[in-house]
Amino acid sequence: MGILDVNLNGLKLKNPIMTASGTYGYTDEYDDFIDVSQLGAIVTKAISLNPREGNEHNRITETKAGMINSIGLENVGIEKFLETKSPVLKSKNIEYIMNIAGSSFDEYVRLATICQTNNIKAIEMNVSCPNVKSGCLEFGVDENVLYDLVKSVREVYKGFLAVKLTPNVTSIEKTGAAAEKAGADAISAINTLKGTSLKVNCINGKFVKTMVQGGYSGRGIKPVAVNAVLRLYNTVNIPIIGIGGIEDIDDVIEFFAAGAQAVQIGTANFTYPDTALKLVKELENYVVKNGFKDLDEMKKELRR
Amino acid sequence: MIKDKKKIFEAVVDKVEKVSRSAYLIETDLKEEVDVKAGQFVSIYCDGLTLRRPFSVYSCKASKIGILFKEKGKGTKYIKSLKKGDLVNITGPFGNGFTLENKKALSVGAGIGYAPVAFLKSKSDECGIENMLLCGFPNKNEIPDLVKADVICTDDGSYGIKGSVLDAAENILKDYKPQIIYACGPLIVLKKLVQTAQKYDIPVQVAMEKEMACSIGVCRGCVIRVKHDGNIVNKTVCKDGPVFWGSEVVW
Repeated sequence: MGILDVNLNGLKLKNPIMTASGTYGYTDEYDDFIDVSQLGAIVTKAISLNPREGNEHNRITETKAGMINSIGLENVGIEKFLETKSPVLKSKNIEYIMNIAGSSFDEYVRLATICQTNNIKAIEMNVSCPNVKSGCLEFGVDENVLYDLVKSVREVYKGFLAVKLTPNVTSIEKTGAAAEKAGADAISAINTLKGTSLKVNCINGKFVKTMVQGGYSGRGIKPVAVNAVLRLYNTVNIPIIGIGGIEDIDDVIEFFAAGAQAVQIGTANFTYPDTALKLVKELENYVVKNGFKDLDEMKKELRR
Repeated sequence: MIKDKKKIFEAVVDKVEKVSRSAYLIETDLKEEVDVKAGQFVSIYCDGLTLRRPFSVYSCKASKIGILFKEKGKGTKYIKSLKKGDLVNITGPFGNGFTLENKKALSVGAGIGYAPVAFLKSKSDECGIENMLLCGFPNKNEIPDLVKADVICTDDGSYGIKGSVLDAAENILKDYKPQIIYACGPLIVLKKLVQTAQKYDIPVQVAMEKEMACSIGVCRGCVIRVKHDGNIVNKTVCKDGPVFWGSEVVW
């Protein structure tokens, strides 16, 4: 038993620090910088039923307090993941949650079925994908659609199931409650905010515009994320995994104070590739330094 | 020293100096020996900014690396402001770098693209490989003091040959007849150079540039379209590149 042990509704991790989907690859890509197996878990890049090429160019841009990405879920697809990536995760003893993304109910269910058949221990549903059937509205913006989607996945998948909520909704309490009611084991909050960067350059009297439209992440979204976690904490009874702009130990503590049981580090991995592991060590120091027996005890005190 | 391993370095700045009207040279000590191939790059953390800034390496001797850069925005403004003795966080080296072949070569550097090909030239000199270095700048004031090239051209003719580096390259292809070309510069220059070289059936290795986030191939933010086994696929500039064969890039 380590002092940072965490039990997320049955998913036991050696610490609550994970890395967020899309920022950490599939397996050991950060191994040159840190021992990835020391993290609580990594969340894989979103994996779809078939390989995806992603969006056309200008996929990323920096903003004043973060970045915007429009990668378009480029990924190798589940078959190649199982064939080439999951053996690496196993051999290196890296704990992982597989992030899945579909473009229809059927695709999510088929993905979840494959995960069940292949004994994938934990999955996180990315529900910020456009639902082709309903005019490309995201699955995660309508609590009724989300309920049905999570329920269909729950029926075929028995492992740990987290639902990653989008903040681009009127009431995240409603979508969070829908995910819980449909049988999710945990909620990950939040996915990226919708954002647009329109950089304008005037060259010899001519305007050159560079636009990136997509998901806004990084330190600028942290207050939005903390707000979502706090509201969800007051609504649902399943564990919340906090995500959004976490860079340092104070941010981690803030998310715990808001009600998160674990956190994911995303954009900060790009700024400092050793951020996540550094936070594991700093969190351990924080717990000890402040005289707590373990993280659980500290969290209880934090929420009094 | 572990070669081919990417690392995080808390480097010490040796100096930052202005080398032309808009270019600067920063030399840093990584405090441990590194092996950098010409065309590889490092990423620099710039105070308060989310994304690191990637720069191809200009020089590398033991633990010291040099980078040439132009002031373009907040990141480079920060790097320019560094003083001797300051700490600077550097990750790398990243990417594949040029594959130096034992063939008579022409290296082409347009603008700040001079940096990696000048580094390559120093490597080919060490190996005794014939390599003519051609570089081009808008005008005399934009030529870094440290430039050592066989042929220099300026768009306005204020120094060396008047005209674009592309015209000069074509003349060199006819007379000097290189067997391979290495190049770095703006996308449009690389594209046209590859077209010209194709007429003479000379392969070109191009060092590409793209805004990037992770530097290690995971975020897929810096992909370009590349021909591969009869298909067109995404390749990351940061990990699969930054050097590609000109003939495989979908321009």
